Amino acid sequence: MSKASPRAHGVPTHRGRGWVHSSHEPSAPTTWTPTTPDSSWVSGPGAAAAFLPAAPRATTGSRQALCLWLPTFELRLELVRSPELDSTSVALLAPGESTRRTIWQVSERAYDAGVRPGQLVSQAVSLCTSLTLLEPDPAHYDAAVDTMLEVLGDITPILEPAGHGRVFLGMDGLGRLFGSPHRQVDRVLRSLFRVFPAPLVAATRAGWAPGKFGAWVAAASAQPGEPVLLFEQNLIRFLARCPVSTLPVDPLVVERLERLDIRTLGALARFPEPSLVAQFGEDGRNALAWSTGRRIDPVRPWHRPRPIRVSLEFAMPVGLTETLHGALDRLVERALSRPARRGRSVTGVRLGAHLEGGGSWFVETVLREPTSVRERIAAPLRAKMAIAPPPKAVVTLLLELTHFGAPSAQTGLFDRKDESGREAGGHELAQGDVPPSLRDAVKELKLRLGDSPLYRVVEIDPWSRIPERRHALLSFDP
Amino acid sequence: MSSERPERHERPRLKPLGQPVVVTVRTDEHGAPTHVRLPGKTARRVETVRERWRIDDEWWREAVSREYLAVVLDDGRVLTLYHDLSEGLWYAQKD
Repeated sequence: MSKASPRAHGVPTHRGRGWVHSSHEPSAPTTWTPTTPDSSWVSGPGAAAAFLPAAPRATTGSRQALCLWLPTFELRLELVRSPELDSTSVALLAPGESTRRTIWQVSERAYDAGVRPGQLVSQAVSLCTSLTLLEPDPAHYDAAVDTMLEVLGDITPILEPAGHGRVFLGMDGLGRLFGSPHRQVDRVLRSLFRVFPAPLVAATRAGWAPGKFGAWVAAASAQPGEPVLLFEQNLIRFLARCPVSTLPVDPLVVERLERLDIRTLGALARFPEPSLVAQFGEDGRNALAWSTGRRIDPVRPWHRPRPIRVSLEFAMPVGLTETLHGALDRLVERALSRPARRGRSVTGVRLGAHLEGGGSWFVETVLREPTSVRERIAAPLRAKMAIAPPPKAVVTLLLELTHFGAPSAQTGLFDRKDESGREAGGHELAQGDVPPSLRDAVKELKLRLGDSPLYRVVEIDPWSRIPERRHALLSFDP
Repeated sequence: MSSERPERHERPRLKPLGQPVVVTVRTDEHGAPTHVRLPGKTARRVETVRERWRIDDEWWREAVSREYLAVVLDDGRVLTLYHDLSEGLWYAQKD
């Protein structure tokens, strides 16, 4: 296994003391310190979501979990692209902001100069005049995550990404393939060399434990290149000495626990459940279950439907909102007309852009209800664009239909005239013109019932003063 | 054993639409409906009579003589009733 320096790549990976660890008998952590300048590693993007109770499902998932974690993943990717910045003061700007821009991630030098995540750019620059600010490039980060998942998918099919730079792997049943847990972890880390440069892989932390929480705590306590492995018999003892800030609960709950001088999971585990529930509600119950090792969250196979992607490249970079709105409409139409979308409504959509001079921009929205109507998809994206517009002129506009409603093979009886069903608009049926779908429906009903139970409304005497004389039903059998 | 399908009842080719339904109506001293009970439902109070019109037609065969009323019931529904003046019965009808 690679024994790279924790400070590889010039990015802070471990500040000071850290935990002493060993493979089989993890010794007690002497001090818990944040492993990145951004101490909110527990509440990073997607962090809490990873521990949300999964929907009741059959016994899918893997009890044995491996957590891979690359702190400041996005900044590291940027530094791989721009190695000349490696040993300088660098800060990555937070994505999705247009007016009061803040710092998202900082390099070690910038951290030493007093720059912190969450600070306003003006504050950061006044603290560190030589600070290099980098625009975020979400498209690049997503592509890196996708590539990583693809490679890890060769080792285990049970993968669960949990925010940038962190992924859980289900390791059940891999012993026969790869040998001992050490070998399994080694195999996983080695596979990353196929997609990431060595310094990035060397900075990856790995934790192997029953359940995602144990694996996450183990990974967070690990040093780069030296994975921490926890077994059933050691888990509770290990957890008991972890700080309460490891819990994936509301930060306010953690803050209150610390104020009450409950600083470790062991201290928390001594409290009766009713007291914790009375104080903290569901978070209290969950916190106790994690602290005592009673709650083991299996790694669930992650499924992401293949998105439908369309893009539009402009001859000249475009900054005009009206032009972008027009392009968005065209893109939605093109995406909806793709055969891959047929029979499915859209529930999630993402709009992005490659920007002039590099960098990318994205907004994402979940639609209120599944739809395949252009305006209902475009309108929320326009609203998001108004709140967080592209920071620079757009070279290429990209649209992704990311989530879909349940597929349906049912076709409308009256609104689809042609066999292919590609035309979504309604058709005015000419006299005597019967759509094939309706003809097929009648045929099936006749087979089942003996004769057609469908009727057509016919005019008898439409101008009659007596209502029952005006129309009648005529049996329909084309 | 015969494999023939059993003879099925031949459905009528034409079905009437908007056929009137007999209803029970309580009237006041002027003959205006005060309560209406649709078949199988509880009686509802008539809040107001919105509109009233009369049809006298087809005198050349079986004469039709009806007094129509569009009434609003106490649950907010609007119902079209008619009083058949030749036979004296009340009907509800979708107009």
